[in-house]
Amino acid sequence: MKHFVRKLSITLLLIVTLTGAALAQLDVTGTVKNVNGEPLIGVTVAVKNTNVGTATDVDGKYSLRVSGTAATLVYSYIGFHTVEKAVSASGVIDITMEETTSNLEEVVVTGLATSVKRTNSANAVSQINSKELTGIAPPSTFDGALQGKFPGVQITQNSGAPGGGINVRMRGITSINSATQPLYIIDGVYVDNTSIPAGLNAVSQAAAGGSPRQFDQDNPSNRIADLDPGDFESVEVLKGPSAAAIYGARASGGVVIINTKKGTQTANQPQVLFNQSLGWQQILNPLGVRQWDEQKVAGFYGDGSSEIQNFLDAQSAGQLHDYEDELFGNHGIISDSRVAVTNGNEKTAFYASGSHHKEEGIVQNTGYTKTGLRLNIDHEISKNVEFSMSSNYIKSSADRGYFNNDNTGTTMSIALSSTPTWAQIGKMPDGSYPNNPYAPSNFLQSADLITNNEAVDRFIVGGSVTAKIVNTERNSLKLILQGGLDDYTFRSTAIFPKELQFEKDGNGTNGASIQGNTGNFNDNESAMLVHSYYGPKLTFRTQAGLTRESFKRNTQIITATQLIGSQTNINQAGSVATYQFRSDQLDLGGFVQEEVNWQDRVIATIGVRADKSSNNSDANELFWYPKASLAVNIAEFMQDPGKLNLLKLRVAYGESSNFPPPGALYTNMGSVIVDGAPGSLVNNQRGNNNILPERQKEFEAGIDIGFLQDRIVFEGTYYNKTSDDLIFLAQAPPSTGFTTKYVNGGTLKNTGFELTLDAEIVNTKDWLWNSSISWWKNKSEITELSVPAFATSAFGATLGTFYIDTNRSATQLVGIGPAEDIQAGDRYVVYGDFEPEFQMSFYEEVNWKHFTLSFIIHWKEGGYNVNLTSLLTDLGGTSHDYDEISLDPAGVLGNADYRVSQLGVSAGPWIEKAGYVRVREAGLFYTFDSKNLSSWTSNVVKGARIGISAHNPLNWFKYNSYDPEVSNFVGNGLASGVEVNPFPSSKQFMFNLSLNF
Amino acid sequence: MKNNLLKTTIVGFATLVAMLIGTSSCNIEQPEDPNAPSVDAIESDATISELNNVVTGMIGGMRDQVNIYLDDCGVIGRDYYRFTSADPRFTSDLPGTGDAILDNNTFYIVNPWSAFYRVIRNGWVLRHAIDNTTAPLTQEQKNGYLGIAKTLQALMFIQVSNLTYSNGIRVDVEDPDNYGPIVDYNTALDFIATLLDDGYSDLQNGGDAFVADLSGGFAGFNTPQTFAQFNRALRARVAVYQQDWGGAIDFLGESFYSLNGDLKAGCYIPYSTGSGEFANQVFISIPNQATNARVALNFWAEDAETGDLRLSKVVQRSETAVSGNLSSDYDVAVWSSQDDDICIIRNEELVLIAAEAQIQNGDLAGGENALNVIRNANGLDALTPGMTQSQLTDEMLKQRRYSLFAEGHRWVDMRRYNRLDQIEKQNADEDIWNAFPIPAAEPQ
Repeated sequence: MKHFVRKLSITLLLIVTLTGAALAQLDVTGTVKNVNGEPLIGVTVAVKNTNVGTATDVDGKYSLRVSGTAATLVYSYIGFHTVEKAVSASGVIDITMEETTSNLEEVVVTGLATSVKRTNSANAVSQINSKELTGIAPPSTFDGALQGKFPGVQITQNSGAPGGGINVRMRGITSINSATQPLYIIDGVYVDNTSIPAGLNAVSQAAAGGSPRQFDQDNPSNRIADLDPGDFESVEVLKGPSAAAIYGARASGGVVIINTKKGTQTANQPQVLFNQSLGWQQILNPLGVRQWDEQKVAGFYGDGSSEIQNFLDAQSAGQLHDYEDELFGNHGIISDSRVAVTNGNEKTAFYASGSHHKEEGIVQNTGYTKTGLRLNIDHEISKNVEFSMSSNYIKSSADRGYFNNDNTGTTMSIALSSTPTWAQIGKMPDGSYPNNPYAPSNFLQSADLITNNEAVDRFIVGGSVTAKIVNTERNSLKLILQGGLDDYTFRSTAIFPKELQFEKDGNGTNGASIQGNTGNFNDNESAMLVHSYYGPKLTFRTQAGLTRESFKRNTQIITATQLIGSQTNINQAGSVATYQFRSDQLDLGGFVQEEVNWQDRVIATIGVRADKSSNNSDANELFWYPKASLAVNIAEFMQDPGKLNLLKLRVAYGESSNFPPPGALYTNMGSVIVDGAPGSLVNNQRGNNNILPERQKEFEAGIDIGFLQDRIVFEGTYYNKTSDDLIFLAQAPPSTGFTTKYVNGGTLKNTGFELTLDAEIVNTKDWLWNSSISWWKNKSEITELSVPAFATSAFGATLGTFYIDTNRSATQLVGIGPAEDIQAGDRYVVYGDFEPEFQMSFYEEVNWKHFTLSFIIHWKEGGYNVNLTSLLTDLGGTSHDYDEISLDPAGVLGNADYRVSQLGVSAGPWIEKAGYVRVREAGLFYTFDSKNLSSWTSNVVKGARIGISAHNPLNWFKYNSYDPEVSNFVGNGLASGVEVNPFPSSKQFMFNLSLNF
Repeated sequence: MKNNLLKTTIVGFATLVAMLIGTSSCNIEQPEDPNAPSVDAIESDATISELNNVVTGMIGGMRDQVNIYLDDCGVIGRDYYRFTSADPRFTSDLPGTGDAILDNNTFYIVNPWSAFYRVIRNGWVLRHAIDNTTAPLTQEQKNGYLGIAKTLQALMFIQVSNLTYSNGIRVDVEDPDNYGPIVDYNTALDFIATLLDDGYSDLQNGGDAFVADLSGGFAGFNTPQTFAQFNRALRARVAVYQQDWGGAIDFLGESFYSLNGDLKAGCYIPYSTGSGEFANQVFISIPNQATNARVALNFWAEDAETGDLRLSKVVQRSETAVSGNLSSDYDVAVWSSQDDDICIIRNEELVLIAAEAQIQNGDLAGGENALNVIRNANGLDALTPGMTQSQLTDEMLKQRRYSLFAEGHRWVDMRRYNRLDQIEKQNADEDIWNAFPIPAAEPQ
């Protein structure tokens, strides 16, 4: 590969046309300041339509030599309006730049090695900066910092368990069975986002059989949760192949590009930033417990039941318990501390940070701790060679409790669902717990004794060298060598001591110690060449590169049962089962891309990427991913656009793909042990060695309009995305010995709209009000299906399930029901769709003098879940609305009796509307006057900010459970929106202090 | 100038494309599955140890979903109710309470059907592997493998056909891409009988010893000759299903049937809590908790004759277990630990088959004699001589009800004699199902 790069650079060197030196020249110097007269450091000053440019120094000064007799200088700086200034003589040009809140001045990624000004982008690329990411309220995990901030993106939290866990869908679901999660790239490093199960299934048997292979109900976190959003400068989202085609075979779920903070090379001003947040979290929506009386007890347990007396005794003794509160009532303390130091001189700049986050969950003995260290260095090796490196170490530990579905009645939440208020299951004076006669498990004992910990040690390191091989007025040729690695070990420790009710006395396996260990190593390298030609009218930018990505994972889970004494060492066990999963993938690819820019009026891009991968059935077959886009800035054509400063029409097309899931190629023999002898039993999942990757094709068109110097900006986008060759883990006739088989068998179409209106509503000396309102909607349809319609990702049609059927939404929820409700040609009644009607978010920031109030309101209209929590609490007799009569059309049965009466008749009661309006984040801050502060503290403290903030403080929903955002299943495809007694979500309140030294 | 530019661009682009194509010269090694052996490799040329692994795999696979199979037959045949807080359908769909019916896409049929057919698939892997292997095996040794494969496949076919009965089963499943139709119950029984007979003939030509070790569950039946007796015992069971009474008596003669022998002798599915093993999931420690219980119907205990030793198969509860309208005062106690093996077929059933075949064949005295063996072994007096064929049939079904309690027989037996309407229901709104539907995923 290196050989190719060298050859290419020589070739390009030879063919580059070097323009002759100009005869005349102008020398321009000056200072760039902001409106307060403070110098701006690092402002880019460029001669329009050339490769000539410089940056302002620590005093805001610049000097520039321009060839010719006249030119236009362009001053640009992130967060400020770009200024253009015509020059026709040497001299001093001082510039004052105005701040802007408009994001149109941002640059967005359009190629692996290049970016463009947002005003020139042909795609609706969403980008948020650190202020929007973490500025309103500091999040616990990165995933929690994204929700409600990207139009077109649906981010669903799987549960409230500390340590995160989310499902991200960009522009609808792209696959039914393969990966749907986006690709995450941080400073050029492909970071892993696997969810690794802890093997709890051995105890919960949620997937009956208890095999650790069936682990999608273990509720693991995503590894993306390890990243510390406090270090992020910007997060950019490429939502579909039209923008992400250049990432090729991995980009089907979209791409999230993260850039971390850097030092400023000319600062020479050490800066220390210190943040401390302190607060608590509490259950977001406690449901309450059933209020029993004698009659209700007799009604549920039978007229002659001794429970009636038990109830009366407990009632008269004042011993009725609100067990929901006892289990979920903890107010967990949260503390988040961070220190960042940054400095730089002309040659070198660095950003270093350390952070420590600690939180207690709402359940006893759950919580999350994370420590992160980061060092980012930028160094100019010579005038034309730059080196950049970012490195990050993370250590995290999450105690996630034991929740969700089971088939043993042992998870804390399922045991809770059948335990009435008069149960006496609290800790006894001798420290032991009585058995819970109402469930196989005493959940208070479980909360006290069970360990379910995920611990991660992770290094993410990336580096790049950029060499300007050619750097003339009209031409530049850059070579960019980039590489990165993501290396972590993940340890899961699940301990179920033998004194647990469901482990002792032959009720379980006499204790279980389930220990998992995963080593993951990803590395990626690329070599890219970027050639720019700045013509008088046209600018051409050509780029090409080669990429290599390697992904290695090795997971081992050891399940030790029949524990000896109180030992948890896996040696000290009467029975040990092991499980291993390995994957080793190598991808090689390359790309070329050409951008043509006609004076910022018309910007056209065309490119192609090719990839091959060891994950494909033919490892050496090249798959091609083309892209093309066109943006037309109509306002630039206008002589006098008046108040309209931006009017852009844009279209883009691109393709990407999705690898077959690991194992799709093979039909395997699994291992069994009988009387100590090893055996091979055919797996019920049938592979297919002719499987093709899924292919996404997306067309996107939009219009961007800006008024009044970008004070009002509207962006509207329509997209149409198809996924061909969908890989189904289709049902096989189980009589063949296989329950599922991999096939390429369908096409899925997503169409949608994304509208955003950004406005600077008020901007006076004391008041500033910025508002950003987004509205988005997606609709999916299975347009082709070559396998029979099938149910997936839930618990069957009796209880409501996703159902993949031709000409239907990919996320429809169906179930059994009255024949008259079944549409012609269908088998089941369609009760709803996981896909919301639309979503909307309001980001508001109001500044008054030194106060800043900001918040995000997220409105999800419609969308349905399968709520089996209500079913299990009904059957356990404990539903909070058990006796309320609001569901039975006849007005006779209580809600629980009504729902249970529908069991086996209709799935309707469990397919429930799950829309919400919630304040995602809110913060109120006071910023101290920096001059006063300096004088008070003898120039030690240069800046300070205090405030209060909250996550999910206000929520409005009718959904009959803890949170409509929930998923019992974690994994690929449709896994979302089905709930079975989850770890409830929490809301968080924080007090924050930041100091700047 | 413009021409230059164009040329530059074109040449540049061409170079880059050439470079891209160049990447294809870097080869990626086609990987093998790093996690498990492939079916293709075993079917095309297996080693002896791989063949033995596949045999063990069949026995291992037979353990799976036996709990659901027994719950299906046990609840519908009203041996017991299954109460669990984890899944309501044990107390709604299976006993048919209220309007609940059996669904064709729910675990109670899908799981056992799939698990049993998986063992059948493993049997085909073994049979294909035997056809293609180049391992140093004699024809007799190969016959031994084939006999095991066919016999265990037949056992699985018996179990699936017991579930879906009149709805039929699929018997031609050798090629997963090209399978036969669903056939009716009688055709299925004929197929199973033939498969057993083929297996029997393989076993008879299987020499003195198997190459593969069978597990402890087949202690005493682990040579071709003794395993053939197990094959014939299954064949006798199929024969009474077919009402081939004479055949049943003949097959018993070739089996391990022994009128006065140990009633417990037979073949068992091995369960263990040892490393990597399957625990017996039908066992629940006594007393069962109402949220996770297998409780005998009170009728079962109440209908028993005084002094019947088989009443030890249940334990009276200190408090009635209740789930909805269902209740019981007796926990099922057929198994005593998670390490307990579950019986496939034992001499006790063979004696009862002998009784049944003789009664239906008109040999009332022989039938009565066999029933008395069972009665005496369980602490009951001999029958009063001179009972009619119909009375003896009632008695035979009753003895089967108690001898094979909770082992998946009563539903099948009552169905064979068109007596499903005689099965006791606790509440009038319950149903006694005739058959499970074919799983939704089966093309019909």
